[in-house]
Amino acid sequence: MANIGIDLGTTNSLVAVVMGGRARCLLDDEGSALTPSAVQFVEGTDTPRIGLEALESAAENAQATLTSFKRFMGRNMTEARAVAGDLPYQLAEADGDKVVRFDVGADPRGEGRREVTPVEASAWVLRMLYMRAADCLLATPGGVVITVPAYFDDAQRQATRDAGKLAGMNVLRLLNEPTAAAIAYGLQEKKQGVFAVYDLGGGTFDISILELTDGVFQVLSTAGDTRLGGDDFDRELVEELGLGSTSGGDLRSALDRAIAIKHALTSSDQAEGVTRGRFEQRIRPLVERTLASCKQALKDAELEVGDVDGVVLVGGSTRVPLVRQMVGELFEAEPYCDLDPDQVVALGAAMQADILSGQSELADDMLLMDVVPLSLGIETMGGVVERLIWRCTPIPCEASETFTTHVDGQTAVDLHVVQGERELSKDNRSLARFKLKGLPDMPAGLPRVKVSFTVDADGILQVSATEQYTKTHAEIDVQPSYGLDDAQVEQMLEDAIDNAETDVDERLLIEARVEAEQIVATVKKALKNDGELLAAGEREAIEGVMVKLEAAMGGRDRKPVQDLSKELDEVTAPFAQRRIERDLKAALEGQDALAVSKALERTVGTSEAR
Amino acid sequence: MHCWSCKEPVGGPGCVSCGSLQPPPPKPDLFGILGLERRYSLDRKDIDKAWRARTRGTHPDRYAGQTALQRRLALQWTAHLNEARKVLRDPVARAWYLATGSSRPPSKGAPSVSQDFLEEVFELQMGDDEERQRRGALLQQALEDEITAMFTAWEAGEGGLERIPERLSRLKYATNLCKPPE
Repeated sequence: MANIGIDLGTTNSLVAVVMGGRARCLLDDEGSALTPSAVQFVEGTDTPRIGLEALESAAENAQATLTSFKRFMGRNMTEARAVAGDLPYQLAEADGDKVVRFDVGADPRGEGRREVTPVEASAWVLRMLYMRAADCLLATPGGVVITVPAYFDDAQRQATRDAGKLAGMNVLRLLNEPTAAAIAYGLQEKKQGVFAVYDLGGGTFDISILELTDGVFQVLSTAGDTRLGGDDFDRELVEELGLGSTSGGDLRSALDRAIAIKHALTSSDQAEGVTRGRFEQRIRPLVERTLASCKQALKDAELEVGDVDGVVLVGGSTRVPLVRQMVGELFEAEPYCDLDPDQVVALGAAMQADILSGQSELADDMLLMDVVPLSLGIETMGGVVERLIWRCTPIPCEASETFTTHVDGQTAVDLHVVQGERELSKDNRSLARFKLKGLPDMPAGLPRVKVSFTVDADGILQVSATEQYTKTHAEIDVQPSYGLDDAQVEQMLEDAIDNAETDVDERLLIEARVEAEQIVATVKKALKNDGELLAAGEREAIEGVMVKLEAAMGGRDRKPVQDLSKELDEVTAPFAQRRIERDLKAALEGQDALAVSKALERTVGTSEAR
Repeated sequence: MHCWSCKEPVGGPGCVSCGSLQPPPPKPDLFGILGLERRYSLDRKDIDKAWRARTRGTHPDRYAGQTALQRRLALQWTAHLNEARKVLRDPVARAWYLATGSSRPPSKGAPSVSQDFLEEVFELQMGDDEERQRRGALLQQALEDEITAMFTAWEAGEGGLERIPERLSRLKYATNLCKPPE
């Protein structure tokens, strides 16, 4: 069972696998590696349209078509409302602290509305890629490595892992996207060095500094901007075209024009009256913003520009010449850009998946060590954050801190787990709140509550609290802040598994039907043309099986279709043999080379139709 | 110590006989877990080298396909190794750890520094910023040299570590003096 790697992107997603020692992206029926991260819910059915199919009809079904939902992973309604202004689809009605839900239309199962979470939408995309891998590999994939942005916080990572579970996958590891890119370039073969990974996608920017020593990769620091990407370049071009005030469908076509111009300007100096110089003048401040993040990341890693041995370019927007130039200048190094910047992350994920299988040659040489992207702490008196784990600490890691009570006779402590770099709890991201109950009745300051944090190799946090005298204990996997409780996840998982089975059954039935149709057509044609070759009673026997097969093909059960196809094949075998012999004999007698080759072709044809 | 799985004797994280990871000790010695000698004069490069070598054997990625118990133990070992590296790489934390067994100054009952020293610091705090930073840096350097000398003597078997916590407390004041004005 081969392990696979999935790049679950904001705009596009990809799946890749290592075959014959080389990583490659798996293509869809159209020959494209990129699957749009889009899901469209169709009225009256449970199964949505996914990918390109969803995008093609997005204009007429705007509300039912979800895109860029990665932005909402692990977020609650309040956070979503703050950024949802220009969404073509709608948020559902729900309290602010509840998980983000999108209202995608009428519920096919009942009277109400159908509401979908970003986790569910992601699961549909993941499932599609998983199925593609199953098709290409002719086997169920083993484990899956899914990539996440390096700055993803705990809730976002947890949500990604849940989406994988929901899609029915065995998620081996969440891998930081920049690290995946470095693996794709085989930087580990260099043994030593410091590398920057500059990832400018459609809507996000991410910079990471990685250090490689004796085959051990370590992420030294990460920085970025979740609201900066190639889409902003497109908007600048729309402004330049004087179409800044358009909206709806007009805006869509203006953006399409802008994208075409942007692509043209990578290789020519002028397109539709926009010069490259003018375009670069427009986007320069945006690129400079990314460079400021780069400097921050270097500072966090306690490094100077001169320490960086190379910079890897990731994301479609790094095709823009000005980006390459400015990044090269900042790091004083020629950027790595030989691989397709859209595929780099997926390729690296596949290589890491291969390494985790333990079968890879790389496994002994290479080890990946990530860091905590944002500091983790506990809210204390006055709303101040006490940090237990600092950002850029290598993971896995553990830390603990002892707290006490502030009121005499206090028998419960509320613990508020937060993530972020700000001093006050309210300015950081709230990960979870839980209560340690049953403390002994003691004067303030006497109980000793030891809070322990454990961060696993995926960067996901587990928190436990123990009162030291009474050993009162509470423990949580940090996840409820984005609003899904365990029961909800369970229910979603059950639904997913039910649906996954139906999905697979459906596909196998269709395959069996197609095969049966081909056999029936071949046999019917032979009965009509070569009836004189039939032995006594043979036609009846063949037709008897054929009638039964045609009846089975109309049903929902694939087993009889497969069995009867096989039976028809067997019962027609002597007849087929006679036809081949006759044709060959005739052809050889007449020494007709063309007829011989035709007769042989028919033998091939029959075997293919089987 | 014997392997929990195959009962053969073990010394390190993994059992040589059956390959099972062993439960890490609850409070491992930070030098011992990295296989380093217990001393103050350590090169960061040597610490990193030891950390990489050990982590190769314990990282959870090495146990991706194995039982939940093995993966849990791999996480614990690697977390300990990461903690040991972090503490030992920082000279001040390393000094506290050697002198007191904890990598941080005690929250209560921290060694008190002399009244004279406190008065000197107070005066500098009240005075000119540039002068404060200049004198602070000198003080810091002198204390660091003194601490290093004490450890060198200890490593040569010619003295104890009793006076080190007090010097470390002074060093903290000195470091604060060096900070640029806000």
